[in-house]
Amino acid sequence: MKFNAIRRAAMCMAIAGLGLAPAAQAADPGITDTTIRIGLFSPLSGSGMAYGFDVVNAAKMYYDKVNKEGGIHGRKIELVVEDTRCNANDLVAAVKKLVEQDHVFLLNGGSCSAAVVAAREYVERAKVPFFMLNASGDGALYPPSKYIYGAFSISQYAVGGSVVEFAVDHFKAKKIGYINHDDAYGGWNQTAAEFQAKRHDGVSLSVQSINPSINDVTAPMLKVRAADPDVLLLTTYARPAALIIKKAHELGWNKPIVLTVTGTADLTQLVENVGGAAALQNFYIQDVVLGLPSDPKMQWVYDMYKEYYPDLAAKPGHPQSYMPYGLPPAMTVVKALEDAGPEPTREKVLAALQNFKLETGVMASPVEFTPTDHAAQKSAIYMKFDGQNRELIPGTFKSAWTYTPKQ
Amino acid sequence: MKMDFDKWALAAAAVVLAVLPFIASGYILYIVNLLMIYIVLALGLHIVIGETGQFALSHAAFYGIGIYVAGIINNAWHPNLVISVLVAGVVAAGLGYLLGALAIRMRDIYLALSTFAFGEAMQWVFLNWNEVTNGSNGYQMSPAWFFGFELTSDLRAYPFTVLGAALMLWVTVWLSRSQLGAAFRAVRESDVAAQAMGVNANVIKRVAFMCSAAYAGMAGGLYTTFASFIHPESLGFWTTILILIMIVVGGIGSVRGAVIGAVIFGLISELLRQMLSFQEIIYGLILIGFMMFAPRGLFSGRRRTRKAAAATGAGSSGGTQA
Amino acid sequence: MSVADIWLFLQQGVLSGLVTGSVYALLAVAVVIVFKTTDVPNFAQGEIFMVGGYVALFMILVLDWHYALVIPVTLIAVAAICALFQRVVMERVIASKGVGVQLVIATLGLAYVLKGAVRQTGLGDAPRSLPALIAPDTVIIGDAVLTRLDLMILSTALVVMLGLYVLFNHTRTGKAMRAVGMNPKASQIVGVSLVRIRMLVWALAGLISAVSAILITPKILITPDIGHIAILAFAAAIVGGITSIPGAIVGGFIIGVAENLVGLFVSTNAIVVAPFLAILIVLVVRPQGILGGKAQVKKV
Repeated sequence: MKFNAIRRAAMCMAIAGLGLAPAAQAADPGITDTTIRIGLFSPLSGSGMAYGFDVVNAAKMYYDKVNKEGGIHGRKIELVVEDTRCNANDLVAAVKKLVEQDHVFLLNGGSCSAAVVAAREYVERAKVPFFMLNASGDGALYPPSKYIYGAFSISQYAVGGSVVEFAVDHFKAKKIGYINHDDAYGGWNQTAAEFQAKRHDGVSLSVQSINPSINDVTAPMLKVRAADPDVLLLTTYARPAALIIKKAHELGWNKPIVLTVTGTADLTQLVENVGGAAALQNFYIQDVVLGLPSDPKMQWVYDMYKEYYPDLAAKPGHPQSYMPYGLPPAMTVVKALEDAGPEPTREKVLAALQNFKLETGVMASPVEFTPTDHAAQKSAIYMKFDGQNRELIPGTFKSAWTYTPKQ
Repeated sequence: MKMDFDKWALAAAAVVLAVLPFIASGYILYIVNLLMIYIVLALGLHIVIGETGQFALSHAAFYGIGIYVAGIINNAWHPNLVISVLVAGVVAAGLGYLLGALAIRMRDIYLALSTFAFGEAMQWVFLNWNEVTNGSNGYQMSPAWFFGFELTSDLRAYPFTVLGAALMLWVTVWLSRSQLGAAFRAVRESDVAAQAMGVNANVIKRVAFMCSAAYAGMAGGLYTTFASFIHPESLGFWTTILILIMIVVGGIGSVRGAVIGAVIFGLISELLRQMLSFQEIIYGLILIGFMMFAPRGLFSGRRRTRKAAAATGAGSSGGTQA
Repeated sequence: MSVADIWLFLQQGVLSGLVTGSVYALLAVAVVIVFKTTDVPNFAQGEIFMVGGYVALFMILVLDWHYALVIPVTLIAVAAICALFQRVVMERVIASKGVGVQLVIATLGLAYVLKGAVRQTGLGDAPRSLPALIAPDTVIIGDAVLTRLDLMILSTALVVMLGLYVLFNHTRTGKAMRAVGMNPKASQIVGVSLVRIRMLVWALAGLISAVSAILITPKILITPDIGHIAILAFAAAIVGGITSIPGAIVGGFIIGVAENLVGLFVSTNAIVVAPFLAILIVLVVRPQGILGGKAQVKKV
């Protein structure tokens, strides 16, 4: 058939053309004498919007502040922003566009852990430094990659390990009830939780894994009650967490419940969702930021947001709860660029991150990288929450889990 | 006139596709690679829904099977990509033939619902069969090989995806002009009439399922030539629906429609990504708009029989056919 | 597990399952009445349910209205949106010679538009509840615990079923709806306005969805994505018989209870796949569902 022949000819040309593909560029793209181009990406639409929209805004406002103060070694930061829709294929499209079309110097993005893992191999092949935003991204951080840095909020491995440590230390728990999700996220925190439990004599975990879209939590809650644990740990998102706390209260089960940071986005709404403070008599929350939005130590973050986004700040629902999480990654990027010197290259930036520590004034502990671990945050703090007041439990609780390569 | 349009369109496409690798970035080539996959998927769905009239909503499941089979083979043995793609297609085809048994027992909405349920169950398997698929962590895949040439970029995979799509398009046209194609369409119009003409409707239905699954499986195999990661969240109902939208907007029953629909909606999907907050609303309005003003699609399907033409209005497409 | 444990699991699993199942049942009824009359599986039913919850939420949070005003206004608003969509969009699709699959895709478009619109309001993101309609006291039945709200949900579902029975069997409009479902051409010949009936059916489905949204929101907490509950409604409709209203109710209860029993006696991981297995089993063994009677033959 004629059209087939045309297609065949075209194919031969294309294959031959591969040999003429342009050679790799000598200098790093995205950097000129006056600008550094950064690719910023996150879910800016759809169901993941809550995890990314204001987080990106926070990063943007920080970069803007740095520019106002003269930039980095005289170079202003130029941003290109892409929407990932919290979805692996779209994240890959966003990253490829940023690297190959927009020629960015480095990547700063990712709020959805499952999606972020999709970019790992591409980023390594393209040799672009990649700083996640608020994604835990454990799947892309272990085994560690020279190019990838993340868990600026906290890694899920750390979430699991830390909360078990808290349960054992504070409640002297032996039998621990543990409800997580049946996704990758849940798998990571469960692995570290089990690891942490094994480090203590006689401590065991009774795990129920539920789907995030669950409607009736009767089954998992009954099973937890039947296992009779000393404390219940929840590493679920906000909605299932509220359902479980409510159901526990209905069933009259009043042992301590600890909710990890995965579900604590909107505490005022949580009180309403569980039917009132009566359900929160024995309730604790995990946190990774320095303080509450009302804490004077956090004032600068919210003031800055109001200054840069006065219209948004006036709308209901803004700033979104995770907004502060956009600051530590941006601060890390800026510091790494500064440390890379007046003629930065990608390699120099990566070298600056080898042994890195940065106090952000946003998170409870400093950002820390070592050559073998690129997860920024590994410890958390805990507070008792009665629906009204938060009472800090002294101490930070660190996860003991470390990565061991598979044999 | 129609033949000229086809030849002109294909020649233009061939020229554009041949020139693209020299002038476009890897990102654009990535998008084109994805469009090629969508074309193969759309052609597969066209065969079972458009040609044979069987509402199979399990397409994404077979696509997923193709991806995992090809990915696992690539990781284990690094064979020539032709082998991975073919094996992916064959495995999917086998399962498609089995699932086709449902088509013998039920039709229309019941068939749609049961194939949909199968698709959901398959996605659950992808998410939970950790030993094989790595579950919700997603599956990392090593690059494909072609006679000592490793496909490590979209540019390198490009000729293969384009060639693959072109090949499947050629096969589809050939199928549609063959006796098998006539049998498909006979079954679409009326089971009973087909039987009367000597066509074994039950077997044909299963063959249609098998072919469409083979297409989806091969699309999965082609996907592994340029993608290094797959997560089960893209292998569910919504992907099947996207492909369905492609063939409906293009025009059910039309090969041209399947191809154009795939390109248009593949591009819309990526372009909308730039539109941020209003994406969902705009996407919904686009769907509503197409359905309100061009529900038959951009290209009409095959010549309709008088019976089908009479069955318009009042949404009378349910129940058993008399 | 001891026998006492098993017995407790059964009681609680079944009773709680019946309550959640009531909501699946109500949504399934909405799906079935639209399907019976227009032959269209409404893929936006879950989003319509979601909008019902958010409209009520908006009135309570932003406008600060009392429940006595919020409930009727929400019901009317949702019913109106549905009727409008049917009249403006769906009728146009039919007029442009669209059939089954095109109508379904139009409903899909509606689903996207509704979801996108709710996300724009700024009310989205966090899971939301509505103020309690009734005191949160618990009620003990045997070894199981239910709340007063649970009982209210159950009774409302039964009241709705009763109301629909009366509607379809003892009112002209209801009988006209049934007629249109069985034979549209013949109904037209005897003077039934197809357009009007289809609008009413959509409005009714919207009404039922809004009622269940107001009831169940405090129990399951809504987000803009809660529309996915429609999949369970479809499962319920299929299990009960997609052309049977009592079947939809029975199907809803079955799915609700099955989810719990699977979660309790198999594993919590399997809860999410149980409805799809139920669909497959029913469709293979008895496609018309439990109460579906004979597989319908339509007059074209």
